[in-house]
Amino acid sequence: MLDPTDLDAHRAEGAFTGLNKALTAMTPEDVIEQIKMSGLAGRGGAGFPTGLKLQFTRAATGMPKYVVCNFDESEPGTFKDRVLMQGDPFRTIEGVILSAYAVGATEGFIFIRGEYPEAAAVVQEAIDTLYDAGLLGKDIMGSGFDFDLSIRRGAGAYICGEETALFEAIEGKQGFPRLKPPFPTTHGVFGRPTAISNVETLALMPDIVRNGGEWLKQWGGGKSVGIKLFCLSGHVKQPGVVEVPYGTTVRDLVERFGGGGFDGAPQAILMGGAAGGFLHPDNFDTPLTNEALNPLGAPIGSGVVMVFNQNVDLGAVLKTLARFFVHESCGKCVPCRVGTVQIAKLLDRITGGDGAPDDLARLESLGQMMRKSCLCGLGMSAPNAMLSTLAHFRPMYDRLIAGGGA
Amino acid sequence: MITLTIDGNSIQAAPGTTVMEAALAHGIDIPRLCYHPELSISGNCRLCMVEVEGWLNPTISCSLECQEGMVVRTQSAQLTAIRREILGLLLSDHPLNCLVCDKAGSCILQKYAYEVGLAGTPYPVEVARPLHQDDNPFFIRDHQFCIMCSRCVRVCDEVVGAHAIDIAGRGFHNHIATPFDGPMIDSSCVFCGSCVQVCPTAALLPASRKGLGREWELDRIKTICGYCGVGCEIEFAVKDGEILYARGTPEGPVNGEFLCTKGRYGWDFAESPDRLTQPLIRRDLAYALGLTDTPWALPETSVLEVEKPNIEDSFIPVDWDTALDVTATKLAETVQTYGPDAVMGLASARCTNEENYLFQKLMRLGIGTNNVDHCARL
Repeated sequence: MLDPTDLDAHRAEGAFTGLNKALTAMTPEDVIEQIKMSGLAGRGGAGFPTGLKLQFTRAATGMPKYVVCNFDESEPGTFKDRVLMQGDPFRTIEGVILSAYAVGATEGFIFIRGEYPEAAAVVQEAIDTLYDAGLLGKDIMGSGFDFDLSIRRGAGAYICGEETALFEAIEGKQGFPRLKPPFPTTHGVFGRPTAISNVETLALMPDIVRNGGEWLKQWGGGKSVGIKLFCLSGHVKQPGVVEVPYGTTVRDLVERFGGGGFDGAPQAILMGGAAGGFLHPDNFDTPLTNEALNPLGAPIGSGVVMVFNQNVDLGAVLKTLARFFVHESCGKCVPCRVGTVQIAKLLDRITGGDGAPDDLARLESLGQMMRKSCLCGLGMSAPNAMLSTLAHFRPMYDRLIAGGGA
Repeated sequence: MITLTIDGNSIQAAPGTTVMEAALAHGIDIPRLCYHPELSISGNCRLCMVEVEGWLNPTISCSLECQEGMVVRTQSAQLTAIRREILGLLLSDHPLNCLVCDKAGSCILQKYAYEVGLAGTPYPVEVARPLHQDDNPFFIRDHQFCIMCSRCVRVCDEVVGAHAIDIAGRGFHNHIATPFDGPMIDSSCVFCGSCVQVCPTAALLPASRKGLGREWELDRIKTICGYCGVGCEIEFAVKDGEILYARGTPEGPVNGEFLCTKGRYGWDFAESPDRLTQPLIRRDLAYALGLTDTPWALPETSVLEVEKPNIEDSFIPVDWDTALDVTATKLAETVQTYGPDAVMGLASARCTNEENYLFQKLMRLGIGTNNVDHCARL
């Protein structure tokens, strides 16, 4: 293991050779072309093609332009970005500089969640080191390219991981999501064109630029190209962050990389975090691809793989997730502000033994409405976990309603 | 111009027009709670969702710009289901006491609940904001009825420029608050009541109407505000000849829906017993003219020591013709005896521009003097 902020050691291992290549031998358009060719898609959960995002931001009119690194990592069960940043901050920062070069940005921000003080200290030290080494600031690597990077801290709100709420937070306002369109590529932070990407996405850019766009395509395929960090937690022998190619099966991931596999007979796996869904054991052999998992209501999302064994009361887990969204809803739009509360109330009623079969239909129609009509991704995904259990764990509900609760 | 189709109607719209604006301009009503034509788009009520052909999901029409060839549907089974769900959620956080609510009949939430046939909510009821604030003479803030549409916040910030209120807190228990929830009077509020004007429910209610009458019992009388020369249009809500409250109307050519604190709340003079409702002539002058048999006499007690002097001791009421005759005669006498520069005219800021123009013309041409000035210069 290298010292996370020992720049010389990291450079000896190849850090900033991608940036050097870009600044000396590539135009910004070349960089965008390589990213597009690689098939890189956002690793924060939404999975938007990164190359297109860079292209749109470059094409947008309006100066200055910004790049933002979304290190708000607040999806419950997600800790990959923290591990990445605390272990190797330079890789992600190199990605930030590359995307700034690609879109023509002169300033960037790393938005770090409030609960990550250690990571913030490491990143700050890395930024200071890079300024001293001429890799940030004026005339980076003698190329004439100027770029300033600084940290902005969150204050503990889940919603601030949503990109437009994150912009509001950077601007010093309350973290309410904005209406889209307009999108960040034209109207981002301070109303300027902004390329915002997740830590893991940015961390893949140096290797793509250094090795060419084809490099990432050696793994996975279709809409799930490359390698992905997964956060193994819950009832596995050894939790942790694992990087595997897309297409590995869920069972493989747990059994081969979970330090000996499942801890107790598994009941369900929460994929994608609180905003994701529960995978039934019947589906554990599904490959880790968006194409295979999305139809099952258990998306890859930010890479959460949280295992629950048979000793867990799944109804209680669902209630915890529901209460999480009640607490984290910003309250701007009606479906999320009141809908999250009603999901929690109905789940309370069902698990408390006062549920009626009608309540399940009510949950279903409420959840489907929220998916279609909430203002931002938080609200749209808030009912996901509940809906996935209605679809795949129906006997649990039938048991609760027939048997008068847990 | 852009051509699009809304509910089967081919509609022309200028670039930049939203689907909501285009629809409303052509008489197509789209349900809406947080939208207000004078305010920025918030998009929080989600009631105005429409379907666009070729789009996967419905989208809100208040922020959707018209695009060439767009085919929009504002009514469908899916949209009705979404609107019913949203209204059902709102009603789970809103007391259903329409039977005793002053806003019944003009409450927009009630209107849409009626339209989709919702008698109540299918959800467990919890009112998030029981706060009741009656801390100023002008309006009552009853947060239990608040649906957090943020119209009041936006009108205060964008139209009035006071920004006295904003959203405090997060999620279900957020609420509209003054800084640190202090009394209204300690905020930057100018008590113009624009927030009350745009509130779709009974969350903001004129204090003067509380419990005194329901919307359908009220007569509407339009008038022009007499407080200044701007000439704002005011609509008084009147029951049994008594004013219950004042409001602006969208048709008001000068002010639209917005009024200042005087126009909206300063109408109690209308029914004041002290209000002068006909011309008065000084008693000594009236006696000299033969209009009364009783001459003026020096009161035994100084008027300065009487709490409420009897106005008829010193004045007698006359009709307008008499008053104007006396005034014209006296003015003519003065001009003939002492010359036109013995007269000076002082105009009022309460008059309109046109009235002030006519007044200076009367002085310059009628009287023949340039001695004309205006109270705003004093």
